[in-house]
Amino acid sequence: MRNFAHVNARSIDDAVAALQRYGNRGAIIAGGTDLLGKMKDEILPAYPEALINIKTIPNLDLIEEKNGMLCIGALARLEDIATNPKISDAYPALAEATRRTASTHLREMGTIGGNICQDIRCWYYRNQNNRFPCLRKGGGRCYAIDGDNRYHSIFGGSVEQGCYAVHPSDTAPALIALDALIKTSRRFIKADDFFQVSVTKTTLLDDDEIVTEIQIPKPFGKSAFVKFALRKAIDFPIVNCAAMLAVSENKVTAARICLNAVYVKPYRTTKAEEAITGKAVDEANAEAAGAAAVSDARPMAYNAYMVQIAKTMVKRAILGCT
Amino acid sequence: MKEDDPHRIVAPEHTLRADKYPLQDYNAIGRRGIRRKDGYEKATGYAIYTADVQLSGQLWLRILTCPYPHARIKSMDTTKAAALPGVRAILRYDDPELPERADVSGHFGGGTEGHEPVLNRVGYWQGMPMGVAVTADTEEIANEALRLVEIDWEERAFNLDQEEALKPSAPLSNPESYPHGNFVLPAQQREPKVVWGNPDEGFKEADRIIEWRMRKDKENWVGPERPNGLFRWNGEYPELWLKHQRPHLSKRQIAQFFKVPVSQVTLHCFYQGGSFGGWSQMALNMQPNIIAGILSKRTGKPVRWQFTRREDFCGAGMDNARYHVRVGFKNDGTITAVAATSWFGRKGFAHLGHFVENTRVPHLLQESNGAVLNIMPGSAFRCEQNMNAFCLGAVLNRVAEALQMDSTVVALKNDGVDGHPMADLADLKRAHGFANRDSLKECIEAGKKAIAWEEKWHLPGTKKLANGRLHGIGFTFTHEWSDSAGAGALGIRIERDDGSARILAQRCDNGCAAETAYCQIAADELGFRYEDVHYRQFEEAGFTTMTPDSSTNLTVNGYAVRNAARQLKRKILEIATTPRIPERADMGYYPPFPDYNPDDLDIKDSVVYVKKDPSKRMTMAELVRPAFFMGKMDIGSTEPLFAWGWQNQQGAFMGTPGPRPIFVRQAHFVEVEVDPDTGEIEVTRVVNVNDVGKAVNPDAVEGQQYGGSVMGVSRARAEDTLYCPATGVVLNGNLIDYKINTMLDCGPIDTIIVETGMGFGPYGSVGIGEDVATVLPAAFYAAVHNAIGAWVDMPMTPDRVLKALGRT
Repeated sequence: MRNFAHVNARSIDDAVAALQRYGNRGAIIAGGTDLLGKMKDEILPAYPEALINIKTIPNLDLIEEKNGMLCIGALARLEDIATNPKISDAYPALAEATRRTASTHLREMGTIGGNICQDIRCWYYRNQNNRFPCLRKGGGRCYAIDGDNRYHSIFGGSVEQGCYAVHPSDTAPALIALDALIKTSRRFIKADDFFQVSVTKTTLLDDDEIVTEIQIPKPFGKSAFVKFALRKAIDFPIVNCAAMLAVSENKVTAARICLNAVYVKPYRTTKAEEAITGKAVDEANAEAAGAAAVSDARPMAYNAYMVQIAKTMVKRAILGCT
Repeated sequence: MKEDDPHRIVAPEHTLRADKYPLQDYNAIGRRGIRRKDGYEKATGYAIYTADVQLSGQLWLRILTCPYPHARIKSMDTTKAAALPGVRAILRYDDPELPERADVSGHFGGGTEGHEPVLNRVGYWQGMPMGVAVTADTEEIANEALRLVEIDWEERAFNLDQEEALKPSAPLSNPESYPHGNFVLPAQQREPKVVWGNPDEGFKEADRIIEWRMRKDKENWVGPERPNGLFRWNGEYPELWLKHQRPHLSKRQIAQFFKVPVSQVTLHCFYQGGSFGGWSQMALNMQPNIIAGILSKRTGKPVRWQFTRREDFCGAGMDNARYHVRVGFKNDGTITAVAATSWFGRKGFAHLGHFVENTRVPHLLQESNGAVLNIMPGSAFRCEQNMNAFCLGAVLNRVAEALQMDSTVVALKNDGVDGHPMADLADLKRAHGFANRDSLKECIEAGKKAIAWEEKWHLPGTKKLANGRLHGIGFTFTHEWSDSAGAGALGIRIERDDGSARILAQRCDNGCAAETAYCQIAADELGFRYEDVHYRQFEEAGFTTMTPDSSTNLTVNGYAVRNAARQLKRKILEIATTPRIPERADMGYYPPFPDYNPDDLDIKDSVVYVKKDPSKRMTMAELVRPAFFMGKMDIGSTEPLFAWGWQNQQGAFMGTPGPRPIFVRQAHFVEVEVDPDTGEIEVTRVVNVNDVGKAVNPDAVEGQQYGGSVMGVSRARAEDTLYCPATGVVLNGNLIDYKINTMLDCGPIDTIIVETGMGFGPYGSVGIGEDVATVLPAAFYAAVHNAIGAWVDMPMTPDRVLKALGRT
């Protein structure tokens, strides 16, 4: 790795000031599990001049209930969330999502804030030494369109002919399904709106803004998370899905369903939500909701199989809410 | 059966001779729970690997790798790189010191294939080290200097697919070495065309004929320790730290390149860990060592190099090939003929060899077509028998399917003991103390019982479980084949301080617990406690215990240990019974058993005793008598107790004419559940049954079975080096995107060890290292077919499974 400055932030203001000082030459580091790999592989055209360490900010890793909300500090480690009994009981989608993230070692390092702010997955974007100067790096095109796109978007690019990478977070769809609120150094953003489709960014965050907390309201129903990956011990999802359903008199009265790893940002499927709302949670209705979820799918040359898997994940997430 | 067919006649030879002095009792050999000699240091991280070696003042070497699948450097400017502070030397492809071509192959040791430019101006695959190399004070500076090298590239058309490359219209993959086309010449192939019997007749005899195409993609080497090395000059002679499976060959190549006497090359080879039959950058794997040597000489400093993991992924993969297979068979399951044609990329391996040695199929035709491609070179790693084993399993399972028969029945029906010297082998088994019994049938029966085959086997695609998944169960078999040829030499000495024994030999930890197994053998042969035998890396005696193939580690070196231990034991007993003579007594040493002959004594638990009167005894520590009081008392000791052992055994390499004198077997069973909605294959049980002749260290044998199972499942289900079809660049060159499986992906693994004493190694042992990982994929293939009723090519990824199920 190349040399870089390492700044220990003592407070959120401290971190923000450092970000402002370094501009786009600085990067936030918490667990570092995504960032350090990117730096080692030299995937980006520019190398960060400074890493601003926020692990030194006190009390940013708390998991507590406040005013009926579950509040998770941005630095809470994924393993701590995965093993928290209250989260397992009341927010099973989030518990399962964190349990299925990466490996034990990485969960011990990685934070919830980092998990939702992680960069996109694309083996062209992430090829070493900036081998493919793609659209996201200021280049002219997305190499996945004509290349091997077996792990790419099935719902089109970020803009037409844009970036076809996928957002790989396991916790992001769970937080969207649970209708979470992302607290940053300057505002609150609904999880629904937090993930931003643009060529160069994955979130709505400004360059000098950091996530400080995640707040999850009391769930309106049962939630579930399912993930399809190629390996059990460690892997990013081929497709994952989180759902939360309110059921009354055997009918779904409200639903929030979100897929991920199928599009450049988490893909909340309102079509599936509409398809299951007002229906009983059974095999046939869940299947129909799965089909509705992928009705807009536009698979590429190598990833048609992901449509079938996405459909199945939606179905299973719905059935998991019972 | 043709009597003069060399493949069918296995002549008894010296390696098959029974041991004249078989051990009556095994103590350490075959015992479970043995503490590994290298266990503590490896588990705690103290074990020294080549990558751990750091020398004062060392420089770092980095070599450019080709960013394109096929490109030539039109011009190159290294001015800016040379001006970077910390850069010490730069070597360019046009450096006058570089010969036009040199032997840079390393592993293959002087083969014609390895004669290449040390730094080529042309890159023939993405990731090929080429063009320019930089040494600098740090790795970071060397990397930065490489980024500052300005290159004007001439990108060339490239080939990624062998069948496309062999078309007349295809561009040339390597016009410098293959100017007339992309065909790999027959002389460069291992077996371009081989015929046994009369295949046309065989097909005429058949009641039915089936044929199909199948493919196997390119697995990657991915060893635990990345390729690396360190080079320095001690005055006029080189000293190297190498990670290498065949260091003795590398030593010769270094001597040859730098024109120094081979005896003056000092070479250190530490722990290797999982070598898996080689390492990446196989085709050029002496290249960085040679460049490091040149630049070390120019700078007067040690030069270290190490590839990144991404670079490691571009170096070498197992053969990727397409096959067309045609099989004729009788309605009772008897196979009358097999004809198989392959199209492979650069390095092809035999695919019908296991029919020759396992079956009585009389008529075989094997044809191979090799293409020069712009992908990483093919190489044998994790065993070169992949397709031999896979074709055998595929054929018998396909025939079973066509006849709706149980594949274990088809296997036994075509079992091929004919032509093998079964009488001689039976003698061998008897000499090793084993009953003469049918190993294959025993292996199959043991495996069937463990996996409950009779209850669970069903016709393909007919069993849906309550969880909605499709149940499948599969089987395959073959023989053990770990290469039988090799040479090993080592010494054993008795420590003067405590009477313990130390094996002095090169480091040779390829495999599971090889050095521990040698200590077990030495302990039993000497009559020592296992705890009193140790293994010590000892390089300077010229012993080459790391045999040409790590596959033969135990079966060759085990003999060397045995031979040395027997001589040493004799020496110990002779010393113990030396008559006391006054001159000797004056020297202070008093032989303890002067009134006996060596044959009157024995050693057990590190104690020398009189056989007829065990009360007359003396520990080894007392016998060797550490001494060092000056004066009249206790100044003496025994003479140094040391013996060396050697083994040089003949054998044959699979697929080449000549005897293959082993016939112990293995059978593997895999049970799966396939999710029809996602294409996921859940492995619910693996059963490995291996006849290893004699298990010297049963825990290590099981270690090989566990490791082999994970690797076998991994290569069947997941592994494939993926090249971008548009740019020819490796896309999944890292351990996240290259989906090597882990233990959790494998399900429960049952290991069953069968011992028939029929191996060519000491005590009737054979190797197991290559067997499970290589054979198991065919059982996986059969299990998936049994579940979904369709055949899926390796790797059996969800997209392929869903496609086979008609779900995409």
